[in-house]
This record gives sequence, structure tokens and C-alpha cells, in this order.
Amino acid sequence: MKRLSHQTLPLIAAAGLLLAGSGIASASSHMDAPLIVLDDAANTTDVYAFVQQENGRKVLVTALGVYPFEEPGIGPNKFNFDDNVLYAIHVATGRDVAAGRPTISYEFRFSTKFKNTKTILQSYLGVINDVDDAAQNLTQFYTVTKVDHRTGSRVRLGQGVVPPNNQGNATPFYNQGDNGENPAKDGVATFDELDRYTRQAIATLDDGYVAFAGQRDDGFYADIQAIFDLLKLRNPGKDSQRGFNLHLMALAIPIDDLGGDQQIAGVYATTSRRRFTILVDDLGKSDNFGDWVQVARQGNPLFNEGLVALEDKDLYSRTSPSRDRVLFRKYAENPELAKLLNLLVLEPDIPGIEKGRTDIAGIYIPDLIKVDLSTGPARLAGGGPTHLTNPDDPGFSRLSIFGGDTLISQIQPGFGSGAVPGGWPNGRRFGDDVVDIAVSALISDLRVSPPVIRTAGDNVDGNDMAFNKVFPYESTPQNGRRHAHH
Amino acid sequence: MKRTTFILSSLFLSAVMTWECGHRTETTVATPATTVDVCAAALAAGPEQNDRDRAITRLQQDARRDHTARSALERLGFAYVARARINNDAGDYKLAEMAAACLDERYPGEPQTLLLRGHVLHQLHRFAEAEQIARVLIARRTFVLDYGLLGDALMEQGRLSEAAAAYQTMVDLKPFYQSYTRAAHLRWLKGDLDGARGMMRLAAESASPRDPESVAWAWTRLAAYELQSGGLDAAMSAADTALRYQPDYAAALLAQGRILLARNRVSDAVSVLRKAARLNPLPEYQWVLADALRFGGLRAEADAVEENLLARGRETDPRTLALYLATRRTNVATAVSLAQDELRARHDVFTLDAHAWTLAASGRIAEAVPEIARAVGEGTRDGRLFLHAGLIHAAAGHSDEAQRWLTQANQLRWTLLPSEREELATHLNGTRIN
Repeated sequence: MKRLSHQTLPLIAAAGLLLAGSGIASASSHMDAPLIVLDDAANTTDVYAFVQQENGRKVLVTALGVYPFEEPGIGPNKFNFDDNVLYAIHVATGRDVAAGRPTISYEFRFSTKFKNTKTILQSYLGVINDVDDAAQNLTQFYTVTKVDHRTGSRVRLGQGVVPPNNQGNATPFYNQGDNGENPAKDGVATFDELDRYTRQAIATLDDGYVAFAGQRDDGFYADIQAIFDLLKLRNPGKDSQRGFNLHLMALAIPIDDLGGDQQIAGVYATTSRRRFTILVDDLGKSDNFGDWVQVARQGNPLFNEGLVALEDKDLYSRTSPSRDRVLFRKYAENPELAKLLNLLVLEPDIPGIEKGRTDIAGIYIPDLIKVDLSTGPARLAGGGPTHLTNPDDPGFSRLSIFGGDTLISQIQPGFGSGAVPGGWPNGRRFGDDVVDIAVSALISDLRVSPPVIRTAGDNVDGNDMAFNKVFPYESTPQNGRRHAHH
Repeated sequence: MKRTTFILSSLFLSAVMTWECGHRTETTVATPATTVDVCAAALAAGPEQNDRDRAITRLQQDARRDHTARSALERLGFAYVARARINNDAGDYKLAEMAAACLDERYPGEPQTLLLRGHVLHQLHRFAEAEQIARVLIARRTFVLDYGLLGDALMEQGRLSEAAAAYQTMVDLKPFYQSYTRAAHLRWLKGDLDGARGMMRLAAESASPRDPESVAWAWTRLAAYELQSGGLDAAMSAADTALRYQPDYAAALLAQGRILLARNRVSDAVSVLRKAARLNPLPEYQWVLADALRFGGLRAEADAVEENLLARGRETDPRTLALYLATRRTNVATAVSLAQDELRARHDVFTLDAHAWTLAASGRIAEAVPEIARAVGEGTRDGRLFLHAGLIHAAAGHSDEAQRWLTQANQLRWTLLPSEREELATHLNGTRIN
């Protein structure tokens, strides 16, 4: 049954590639590798990377989400960062981008402390007025360490504190009217308008880095149910992530510290747990923990979830992007999803989209989010174009280049005159409709000059909450007492 | 109209992984006959009393639709196993086997199908067959849970060194809940209690909050380890935590009951154990309850519980029934027979112990001695195991050996049932110990 109509659009611009290629689709990383689904605290959901200004400096904003489908009503102490997990955001520069190697890694390590263990009130002893005040029983702290793989140096950039999860009355300042009975506050445009917990938890680290770690709304939006139900899309679509939270680590990286802005950087993230020896000898003595084993990886949205075959999903999770060219290029060049779109959805079929997709491989292989650092700041999503207090930036399009949202590169011709996508696949912003962009890229043909552009989507066109247009950008965490999905 | 069988499936194995240590439900379910419509059986409507039942119904509905059948059938099979873990209903294992057979019929040789079938066979105590499937899977792919299945099957067969190697590969591939729990159990079996505790705590902390039973299970096992180490407060705290995640979790209630017994709070223990045994009317639960009742002077109720144990134990947990009969020195021939039946399927520490103990109860001391030596040979530190070793050696006239094992049992005496503590005290230098 064909449900999705597509239209061939005239070219937006002249020849060229979307940075190093183009993109594709299905579900974000909420149902990805079979095994990693079992390990929520280490289960990556999405990675973000975009150019912005922070404190007067040009920065690369990066973010990593974990805990897919984090139920706001469960808790309070069940969803936290895991002290035993190494969370890392990796940035590749120079030749490392094409090689899929990290040049610099930023490691987040957490430690959990209780003020009072002689109580059943594990997270909240009362109404929390300020982060880590006497009423916040469980508090997590974190350090951020910069690892330069060129020199092997490790530099501790600083530490931060994780604000409480949004439970409701115990955490009123997350919520409208500072009332725990109300839904969470909408996104805002300025730091001063942020809720006080988020404000207090934004950490200024050494060398101009800015960090945040804590619970947020899950800003990914898509009709996952319909996509996985034989691509039988519906109108309107239903946002499967509506009302769910996640845990987010965000880091604003001064671009100067990456070697300047006249380059394209690559960003991905991993989570790791420590290896250990179960039995050292026949005496049954156990040893201490050993090195780290990567248990999850996330780069561009939808690659492992939508393109990599089931039998290789775990292999993807435990390997480095440096091996993508050998192990996973076939999935990008011959995307099964394109075949399925022809088989199930498109009427008539679009010829030529199922094989030889060097354009799609250009985006995903190696699976780093490529960001042109030479552009101006990315346009940001707020609460949509007509939001009264926090509208999207003028010119922002959830469809990125497919919606005419472009930035001007100083280092590549892009689609002419340096025009490159304003969002994914040139970086990825909060609010980018990665499913629609990916499907559009998949049914387009970016291998030819001029490229053939077609658009399509899942009829879910926005997040259920407005994004912040200030760091940490992701929306306020949904209220456990009152949230959107039930 | 175009059709496809395309599925982007995800295995929610954490919710349904089938491994567990210690005692588990026995069943005599056979392989489905080829004439049975296995798919119809797996998809037959069942109860809808709770969320777990309703989830199964939804999976059945999905499985009836051609295009989602593979993923749904696979998850349905694991969902049956998961429900069986909670309800101790052997029928669910049969349904899981039907789901696996249905999958095999429709998608023969698929790795996911084999993995489900392997886990079902493991639950059905067909460990050699489960091992065979695991080895087929491992030859075909590198997938962490295949090594888990292999290790589980080997461990039950008493091949701990081989199991350890399989589990180590698991850890090397992916340290996470499934590998942590197995590592903890293996360490405990090898006598490394501290190592087991650390690993089980890691498992509990890494378990998904979206799968409360997995979290509760890890905390319950941790409670057992803490109890054994003498940390009664820590043990109770762990059991309490398990119950916060999964209220009315019978295994955690049983742990609570045993901790209360260790504290000699018999009345409180009885109250908790009654609830545990009502939720899980298995010999393991009923024996502890009956012992607590008898210790508390509630003999009539104890008799009734034991009557039920005797009536149903053969079906639900013959190994524990064998141990119970041998301990009570009643129907010892039946006890030996039950233990020997178990031995045909598995040779783990506790089956060897059951065999040795039943032999001793029937007066076959000379045969019991080497069998108990094999049981304690792995280094497992368990109060009941040590008590049996001590009493068997005492019966054999090995006074030094008897003294050594009874002393070790005494060091773990709070883990014993009240009647076992009394028996230990009687034999240990004639001194009553509590």
C-alpha cells in the first residue's frame, strides 16, 4: 500500500555535495542495537553538534543523550547517570575526520552521593530550592576530562553538579509558575529566563568550556510506531517520544581549542564499561577492573537504527568509526530502507535510489556528524515559528537545507557560494527533523549535478515542548507528576 | 499493493532473559509433537489479569500479522519465559517452546530463533541440547548472549571452567547486566563472596529501571550474598530495595524471611514467608515457611504447608523435594530417585549435594562421601552444603573431616534453617549453637 506521495523539487542550488555527502532514515537510537537496549544508562539516544556563540566565543556545541524512553513518572532515584559508565564525546579534526578517528575526546565521569542514607527518601528530603541544597538527598557530580589523542595528554577541565530530576512538587522551579502541579516550563530565549535548577547547573569549566549534565525532555520527535509498522505513515503522525525525558550531557567547546574554525570537524559519542576478569585463578580470587569496553556508539541519527542490519547492530556498537568504511559502508551505499520505501510506500517507485548511494555513504561513512566550523552560528529552534515568546530563529527550518535553511561556509563551495545545510547533515541541531531530512535525502539523488531533491516525511513536524535557544538548548525535563504522554 | 516481511526488530532480552541461578521450576514438558500446530498453540488466547498478560496478548496480536510475525513471535517466546519466572507456571515454558517451534517452522535456522529455543531448552533443563544450540550460534556469529547461553548450559552440567571461559568472553565483548550477573554467580560458586557481592551490586546498579524484575532480581541475589557475609542490615536493605522495584516479589520476600530468621525474629519471618509461599508455592519457599512455623510452635500450619510441599514438589522442584525428604529422613528411597533423575540432566554443585545427601539419608554413606566431595570441590561457600558435608563425614566416621565441615557450617549458621541450626548444634561438639 502506498501512502506517501513525493514531489520532485527544483534544485535549491547548484552542484556539490552536502559537505561530504548526504543522508537517510528510520528511527532514532531509541530501539537500536538489541543488546544495548538492555543497558539504558549507557544507551545513547542522540548526538548533537552545531556552531554557536557562548560568552562571546565561537563554540562547537555538542551533546549526548542517554536513557531512551525515560518515563518521567518513574523515579525519583531510578534514572541517573551511571557512576560505572564512561561517557565520551569525541571530536575529530583534520585527517582524523575522514579516518573516523577521534582527535580529542571529552570524558564525563559521574559520582553519586547521598546526604542521608538512613531514610527511604532517596532523592528528595523536601522541596529543593537550589541544586544540591539540603533537600536534595541524591546528588550526582561529574568531571569533564579532555583527552588529546595526538599527545596522549589528559586535562581535567572541571566539574559540575547534576540538578535534580523533575519530580513535581519536590522540584517546583522546573515547572510553570514554579508550581510542581503544573507542566514543565517551555523553552526560553535567554539565560535569565531558564529555570533556576538549569541555570545553577550550567558549569563554566577551564579554558572557556561550558558544560551541563542532567535530565531534559527528549527532543527527538518522530512517528516511530508508524515507521516500524511497515512504514504505514499517518496524518497527523504521532510523536513516539512525546512526554518522555532523557539524560543529557552538553559541552560547549571553544573552537579555538580545536584549531580554529577553518575546518570541518566530526563528532560522535560512545559509552563504555570496564572490563574485568571473572576468575583470576583456581583459588577464586577476583581482580580489579581493567580497561574500558565500548558498549554503545552514536554518530549521525538513524544510521545504526535504520540502515545497519540486525546482525551487525552490536558490531556497530562496539567498533570505532575508523572501521566503518570496511564494515558498514555497504549499508549506506545500498540502503535497505530505500528499497523498502519503494516496496511499501512510494507510488510510483523512484528508480536508482536503492544502489550505489555514494551520497548517503558520504554522510554516514565514517559515522561522524560533520560540522563546518567556518559558518556563522546555526539558527536555533524555539517553539516553532509562531511561538509568542520563544519563536524559532528567523530562517530556521526543521528540514535544514530541504527547507531552505542554509549557512555560508568559508571553506567549501557547498551548493554554490558556500551554501551548506543550516542543520543536519551539517552538524545536528535540536529541532532538526532528522527523520524527514533523512527520508528526503534518501529519495533524492545528490550524486548528480544538479542534484534531484525530493521531500517526504512522517507527519510529525515538531517536538512536544519548545527548545531553549540558550545552553543547554534541550527542553526542560517533563514533570513526573504531569506530563504529556499519559 | 506490495507486501513484504520486512521487520526492523529489536530484542528486549533484558526483560526476558532466562538465566537464573539457584533453584528453579522443574517441568516435564516434552518437545512439541510435530503434529501439533505449534503456532496456534503459541498464539492461543490466555489470561489478561495484569500488564504482563496484556503485553503477551499484544504480542500475540502482532504475531498473527504476517509482516510482524518474526519479531513478535520472538518477543512472545521470551515474554512467556519472563512470565514463567514470575508465576512459576511450567505451562509458560511450554508456550515459550511452542513460540520457538513456530519461529523455527517459519524461519528455520535463524539465529534469533535458535537463541530463543536455546533459552527455552535451558529452562526445561535440557542443558546438553541448549549447549549444542549455543555452540551452533557461536560458530555462526559473535554475539554476547550466545556465550551467556553456552555458559549457563555448561554451568548446570557442572563444567565450571568451561562456563567461566564462556562468561569471560561475554565480559570481554560487553560488560553489562547480563555479564555482571553471571560473573557474580560464578564467583560465588567458586567461593569468592566479596567478588560476587561487588559484581552483583554492579549488576543491580546497571539494570534497566524499565525492567523492574531484572533490578529486583539482582538486589535479591545481593541480599543473599550479604546475608551469607553476615551483613544482616545490608541484606535487609538489599531485599527492601528489590521490593521497592517489584512489590510482592516473592524471591525478595523469601530473602527477607531468611534474614528475619537469621535474626531470630521468627514471628516476623513467618508473616513474610507466608506471603512469599503464597505467591510462589514452591518447595524452596514452603520448606522455609514450614520450618519457621514449626520453630515458632505453629505445628498444625507447618504440617499443612509440608503436606502441600509433598503433594506438589515432585512436579515443581524435585531436587528441593529430594533434599527436604532426606533432611526429614522420610521417603528416602524416593529422595534418592528424585536426585538421581536430576543428575541425568545436570551435575552442578547443588545437584551433587542433593544426591550425596539423599544417599546418606538412605544409609549409603560410602557412596555419599565421594559425591559430597565433588560437591564441595568447587569451593562454593554455602552453609547447607557444609552441614551436609560435615554430617556425611561424621556418619562415615571421618571425625576430623566432619569437624572441619561442621565448623565451616557454623561460620555460616545464620544462613541455615532453624532445624538445620539445631542439627548442626547437636553434632558440633555437642554444643547447641544459635
